[in-house]
Amino acid sequence: MTPLGRFILATLCGLVLAGLVHVAVVLAIPFLADGDAMTRSRATLANDTSVLVHAVATGGPPEPPQDKTAPAQAPEDWLPPQDPAVALGVCAYDLDDGPVRITAETGPLIETIALHGRNGAYYAITDQAAVRGTVELVIMTRRQFDEALATADEDERNRDVRIVAPSREGFVTVRVLAALPSQQAQANQAARSVSCTIDGPDE
Amino acid sequence: MLTENVVRPAPGRSAFLRPRILRRPARLRRAGTVGLVLYALVLGAGLGLASANWATRGRYPFGGVALNAWTAWPRIGSREADPYVRAIHARTGEIPLALGEGLLLTALTDDAGHRLDPSCRYRIAGATPPARAWTLTVERRGQAKALPQAGTAAPPPRTGFTSTEVLRDRDGRFAVALSPTVQPGNWLPMPEGEGSIRLVLRLYDTPVAASTGVLEREGVPSITREDCP
Repeated sequence: MTPLGRFILATLCGLVLAGLVHVAVVLAIPFLADGDAMTRSRATLANDTSVLVHAVATGGPPEPPQDKTAPAQAPEDWLPPQDPAVALGVCAYDLDDGPVRITAETGPLIETIALHGRNGAYYAITDQAAVRGTVELVIMTRRQFDEALATADEDERNRDVRIVAPSREGFVTVRVLAALPSQQAQANQAARSVSCTIDGPDE
Repeated sequence: MLTENVVRPAPGRSAFLRPRILRRPARLRRAGTVGLVLYALVLGAGLGLASANWATRGRYPFGGVALNAWTAWPRIGSREADPYVRAIHARTGEIPLALGEGLLLTALTDDAGHRLDPSCRYRIAGATPPARAWTLTVERRGQAKALPQAGTAAPPPRTGFTSTEVLRDRDGRFAVALSPTVQPGNWLPMPEGEGSIRLVLRLYDTPVAASTGVLEREGVPSITREDCP
């Protein structure tokens, strides 16, 4: 083979290798990244309420702390540019400890709740689905869902919206839209007030 | 040895030299093969890593639905998101709008296909997209986040409009002026800094998320360049 032919062959091999490396790296990034929303939201695992990760910038003076017992309520700052009119709260869950109950009191503002797993969002609900001003979801694994069905009391009607999660770990996001500047503080408050607690066995 | 070669008769000399001539290319060939293998490895690793880095920098490479100047991204917040979208979200920490929450539309160009120029004046007008609420935001790549300054009285400049606060005409249509200088009506200041301009339209609680055909029928806001200095 001529030297030029060998060089062309090597280049072709290099290009094929580049394609393989490219595909492998793109597929590996979600497993290797430590700055993704899943990893970041792990820090909120112990909280009983959602944590504000993107606050609506209030035009006025910085809002006074709502209560002194929660000093770690300052919005974290790891998200890329977000919608400036939307307050975003997250709440991580781990279904190993039992089903997780999400309770959101909806107000006059547009509010959406989405459930994210490892492979992206798998469920979303808006405040239009609220029953008497409350959205209640129970996230469970397939096994917990079957157990709940098996032990259910037949006379009692269960109003929970039960969602089977694709994976054990995930996080819940709450987006509250402040349509007017006067609603900004209210939106921030709503985004951090969603409770996500482990559903006790007494239920 | 060399002098001996010189004094030898012609046939013997050629017989001695032939193996040497044959041996040298063989050694060269082996060194060349090692070099070429190294070259192929370096090329593969370098190109592969660089292209993967380029494709997952922050803007979705494909998977969008083009609607005039806008591109809708219906699948980024679903479980059918492609591996590039997942890699981008993993690198940036982005939390996408889920399928039932809303829809993200972005525009990098105007309706004529020119890239959005920070020094120009644009008019974004049209019908309201079918959604419970929408927000129109302008972003600049590489823009430093506005830090809340304690001493200054001036509020941070507006970066977007919501469907509630935008001023409309009698027919319910709106027109937003995106410009570096002050404009009457709905003025959206051009963000300062370096980098390309991107318009982001987010539709919240919208039936469009299920199929972008609704948007094609109802239309998306038009982006027209008014004048450039």
